Amino acid sequence: MYTWDYFVQELVNGLTLGSVYALIALGYSMVYGILKLLNFAHGEVYMIGAFIGYGVLTVSGGAVDPMFPIWLLISFMFIAAMIGSGLLGVVIERFAYRPLRNAPRIAPLISALGVSFFLQNTALLLFSADFRSYDTFSLDNGTLFTHGIHFGPLNISLIRIIVIVTTAALMVGLALFVSRTRLGKAMRATAYDREAAAMMGIDVDRVIVITFFIGSALAGAAGVMVGLVFQRVYHFMGFVAGLKGFTAAVVGGIGSIPGAMLGGIFIGLAEAFSQGYISTRFYDLIVFGILIVVLIVRPTGLLGKADIKKV
Amino acid sequence: MKKALVLTLIVAAVAATGASAVTKGSAPTASAAGAATTCTSGPIGFMGPITGPVAFLGKEQLNWAKFSVESFNKANGTAFTLLQGDTQLNPKLALTVGTKFTANASLLVTTGPAGSQEVIAVGPLFKRKTMPYISASATNATLTQGKYPTFSRVVGSDKAQGRSDGLFMVNKLKAKKVVIIDDQEAYSTGLAASATAVLKANKVSVTRKSVNQKVTDFSSIVTSISDDTNVVFLPWQVAANGQLFAQQMQEQGKTAKIFGSDGLDSGDFTIKGAYVSSFARDIHGLPGTARVIAAYNKKYGTKWSTFGPPSYVSVQVAATAYKAACSDGKATRGELLKNIRAVKIPHSILGITISFDKHGDVPAAKFYVSQIQADGSHKLVG
Repeated sequence: MYTWDYFVQELVNGLTLGSVYALIALGYSMVYGILKLLNFAHGEVYMIGAFIGYGVLTVSGGAVDPMFPIWLLISFMFIAAMIGSGLLGVVIERFAYRPLRNAPRIAPLISALGVSFFLQNTALLLFSADFRSYDTFSLDNGTLFTHGIHFGPLNISLIRIIVIVTTAALMVGLALFVSRTRLGKAMRATAYDREAAAMMGIDVDRVIVITFFIGSALAGAAGVMVGLVFQRVYHFMGFVAGLKGFTAAVVGGIGSIPGAMLGGIFIGLAEAFSQGYISTRFYDLIVFGILIVVLIVRPTGLLGKADIKKV
Repeated sequence: MKKALVLTLIVAAVAATGASAVTKGSAPTASAAGAATTCTSGPIGFMGPITGPVAFLGKEQLNWAKFSVESFNKANGTAFTLLQGDTQLNPKLALTVGTKFTANASLLVTTGPAGSQEVIAVGPLFKRKTMPYISASATNATLTQGKYPTFSRVVGSDKAQGRSDGLFMVNKLKAKKVVIIDDQEAYSTGLAASATAVLKANKVSVTRKSVNQKVTDFSSIVTSISDDTNVVFLPWQVAANGQLFAQQMQEQGKTAKIFGSDGLDSGDFTIKGAYVSSFARDIHGLPGTARVIAAYNKKYGTKWSTFGPPSYVSVQVAATAYKAACSDGKATRGELLKNIRAVKIPHSILGITISFDKHGDVPAAKFYVSQIQADGSHKLVG
């Protein structure tokens, strides 16, 4: 039963899921790194991204009869969702968090929860509680699912390859942006010490806005990925995904960008292997059990660093 | 002074709200059971998933319920109305709707809810308030074992469905190895248990798995289905999930036959070659249905499945019982419950005689199996 191809298939399943969690976790981690804020509305930004992708697909003629070639269509969906979600992140920062920047830490946290419910209910109002389907299995007669790598009993579909490769590209792009550009340097400086960064002439507000834009854009991309692979989108989809993304960020070490990437992949793999090898019923218990164990053994997460304060 | 006035107003408002809640909450059962209304023009409740994951089902049930009220009123000179409550197949929402319904003294009978877990959620409340309710799709076997005395249904029980599905897999599909995946809801686990018992009694190897109804990524479960599995049985309520599951099986090159329960018997599940059971057969071509179908299609369109007609019948039962209770000019919930148990419709549009046993089951109800064809139509095969 438990052969190598079984293991590899579960690995691919886990990597697909982990890619989505990693992209969501990045948003949590980036915002926490800069503002020390847990942006609990982030799961809903991901949900809105999924709906934007759905909207683009629908106005482009739908999955059965799209007016663009499949690659162009998917690119449009990603671009629109990332821009839309990014802008939403900027708006959330401007109206829900910036006025509370100097308030006690509990205030923006409550504000984040409020924004989360607001977005959820707005989606409910706009799109109703009905489940929508990307119906990507109908795109080009299911090419995305039936084509790919087939090696004996091992099947890695094209759509999963797209998701994993796109996530890897986005992560590499982000890593290069943060480490090699002036803006990335400004982000690191702001994360290290916001006041000192401001005194050195860095426009902290601009850095924060850009951080929100990038984090939210990545969540929007994750929303489209989920729509493409698992097809169904609905107003409440951000809740569990947001929770898993947050778990990934904490496991990886909240505030650490490589940690968020690692945490996301780790949680995705844990979920897939738990389902594949242990239990399909209790996998969430196992995933959150891992979170507890990691926090007990290494409270700062896998790649997180302890805050050292001068006393 | 102004501050004190505002505070006083707030306190008064809170007190008034509390008092009103207490008054509503403490309304004696006897008064609810004995609430009288203007006969033959009262409302009939409808609880269904009008939005949410199975909105297709709820909308279809709602349309057939509306049509049933209109037809009954036209034929009997009554003026019943339909009071709608959206439950989204969610027990918590079902209880919220149920609470509103029972608090409405003019509402004496309800049709629905759709799901067994929703029936379980409202059961104790409806028992306390003597609210009779007739479901057109809740099939869990435990619902008619005495715990929910005001409950009735016009479709069969999962005990019968599990048995007929299990025997179909053994006799027609020649199953040797079956994977059964429940969706962790009362309907699904009950049906899975019932089918498992039949399969095991026939020496079929059964592997049980479980997945939450809200999950859309089934890839790990699909991976775990071994290549020598003949049949995957999905006793699920959300047909769209069944569709996703089947597509993810295709994605991984799994070729086991898919057998879905009545929850998958809808337009959201269109996998060619898959089997589905249903608590009602396609009524096209059944004696006496042509006129009803033509009238329905004219007003509500032709896109409907086997979920709609039982809803028509459940409203028909409620209205018949209501009218009978009104013979003395007034009606109560208790009276309606008694009358529902006495209703007999010899030639219902479902092709069976509708009458109830003492627990609210229809003895003549049975299950059917059909196979989905390339054009999406269903061919009756068992």
